[in-house]
Amino acid sequence: MADAVGRQRREVAVLGGAEIVIVPEDSRSIPEMVLEAVEGALHDAAVQWVSVDAIVTASVDLFDGMTASSIAVTEVVGAVMKPETRIAADGLAAAIHAVHQIAARAYSTVLVVAHGKASMAPHWDLTEWAMDPVYLQPLGVDFLTIAGLQANLMAESNRVGRNAPLGDGACAVVLSGSVPSGAAVITGTGHDLDAHYPGDRDLSTWSGLQRAAGRAYKKAGVSDPATAFAVAEPSCMFPHEEDLFVEATAIEQTTPLSPSGGLMEGTAPIVSGLTRLLAAARAIQGHPGRRALAHGAWGPAGQGHAVAIVEAT
Amino acid sequence: MNPVAVVGTGQTNHAKARPDVSQPELIREAVDAALIDAELTSADIDAVVISNMELFEGRALPELWVAEGAYGAGKPVFKVATGGTSGTSSCIAGFHQAGSGSFDTVLVVGFEKHSEGHTQTGMALVDPFWDRAVASGALGNFALSISQYMAERGVTEEHAAQVAVKARRNAASNPHAHLKMPDLTVDDVLNSRMLAEPLHLLDMCPQSDGAAAIVVASGNNARKRGSKAAWVHAAATRHDQPYLGDLDRRLITTRALSSAAASAYAQAGIADPLRDFDVAEIYEPASYAELAWYEALGFCNDGEAGRLIGTGVTSMDGELPVNPSGGVLSTNPVGASGVIRVAEASAQLLDRAGDRQVAGAKTALSTGYGVYAWSDVIVLRSEMP
Repeated sequence: MADAVGRQRREVAVLGGAEIVIVPEDSRSIPEMVLEAVEGALHDAAVQWVSVDAIVTASVDLFDGMTASSIAVTEVVGAVMKPETRIAADGLAAAIHAVHQIAARAYSTVLVVAHGKASMAPHWDLTEWAMDPVYLQPLGVDFLTIAGLQANLMAESNRVGRNAPLGDGACAVVLSGSVPSGAAVITGTGHDLDAHYPGDRDLSTWSGLQRAAGRAYKKAGVSDPATAFAVAEPSCMFPHEEDLFVEATAIEQTTPLSPSGGLMEGTAPIVSGLTRLLAAARAIQGHPGRRALAHGAWGPAGQGHAVAIVEAT
Repeated sequence: MNPVAVVGTGQTNHAKARPDVSQPELIREAVDAALIDAELTSADIDAVVISNMELFEGRALPELWVAEGAYGAGKPVFKVATGGTSGTSSCIAGFHQAGSGSFDTVLVVGFEKHSEGHTQTGMALVDPFWDRAVASGALGNFALSISQYMAERGVTEEHAAQVAVKARRNAASNPHAHLKMPDLTVDDVLNSRMLAEPLHLLDMCPQSDGAAAIVVASGNNARKRGSKAAWVHAAATRHDQPYLGDLDRRLITTRALSSAAASAYAQAGIADPLRDFDVAEIYEPASYAELAWYEALGFCNDGEAGRLIGTGVTSMDGELPVNPSGGVLSTNPVGASGVIRVAEASAQLLDRAGDRQVAGAKTALSTGYGVYAWSDVIVLRSEMP
């Protein structure tokens, strides 16, 4: 059955994580940046490398200017002679895949790592190469122009200075099926890829996020999203996207969005969603029963969405 | 791992170029074939995993554009890309998704359309600080490691040519294969153009346009269906150090493959691979690589691979037919090649392999390989775990 959403077979704890300080241009190489995040995450999670069963990385080859760009980080994420899976999407999608691996009882403890280095090339120009090469790319359309179209539909405009500043970043999170007492656990996940052509989508909504959140709510047993969350951590690059986010997730207008700052403090492509998972887990940890919603997005105007529900135990 | 099974497979006809279809249309061919094979419709698919090496086509995030070819719009979709193992790693990702409880039915589809890009350029885009200056693509790397392998294990050009002949003759029975050469001889291989000593043209895999798909069912779903299924008994992945000076690129020490095999064999209870497997679909980018993999996969002792091919043990009527499909040597759309290995092994267990069927196959091996550093090993059986 399509959309037959089952129960995640195992609760998954967010043991810990780390992100490096995002700057407009990090003079270090990608492996050096990632190593700092990985070492920080293992320390924060109090997990030794030997206890990591598998690694899921997130990166995009053209953004890195490198074929099979996970090669750059194989050693620093500790994947030498271990199972590594590379997801080419937002880091939260990689975390969702790690949840699948743990729930499938393939691995118990999985390290999730995302990196992005926007300073290496004009990022929005690169995204033109992710648009359909037959009808859209020849028009010079990229993720920024589609986001602008969406903002106009919502009677807003994208202005420099109001958008989340893009920089260089890396984030690592340790997930485990062995749940320590008091841990923040992921109880539901959902992801979605919408149609590609702007004409095939209703750009006035984030219907893909609605579907992704719906899947996550069903798994986590969230019946009333309006009152379910103590905090939400959206991946919104542009101000108009916060309205789309609130509407699609059906959370209350008063739910705190990224109280610790969120993407507007600076973010990096591919890294955003994973940093939101970490922030969501940290926001509720120590407050049993509290829930938080983490969100990641990728593609033009939120073609791809990922949602994870985190609950404090 | 929780039980899951492959319940349907589909492939395009693979060719040097498929100018008749776009990338999404190419995918649609394989997906429709897999859905028909699984007796399902697109509405039954809960999630999709896509496999592709985007820089071979010079694209970014191609799944954003092509996923609709896999009926992916409005569904959970993402891409897995790990070089040569992209296809097998995508299948393993599909196994994990179907085993997680989140989805009943997961579609995995891999594709490559080499004719729309420049593969060597994609392969040369390696680490910019150390490796790019000496990037030689597949050929130069293989020529060096194979020369050493020949010296260390006594393998000859004739042994390798026998592998190349077996592959292309097997491919003649596979309607999907790119290179079908029913009359190819060892002399033809030895007389083909020298690419890089000791590699002749016919020792190497081609670049193909093509797509392949499998339908993965959760254990409960596969049991409820009650029909034949290729059950996953083991799936193991190993990645190794990527840098030229760190990675031991000798074919005799492909520790990623031998370690993945040891793990998978332990999971599946494989004690004697040559006896326990009825058929193998292994990722052999060059003729010599197949010989080295015989040793790494434990089909024979070290130094005996030449004897194995020479005595026909791995031919269609031998004890363990290896690559009845013709293998990567006959068909190589990179993002699909690993999916093809799993699709072919599954089709054997589903008894739907047509003229290349190994009679009564019950236990099958699939492997994935990427640039010395990546290996996947998958064990499938017709019996439920």
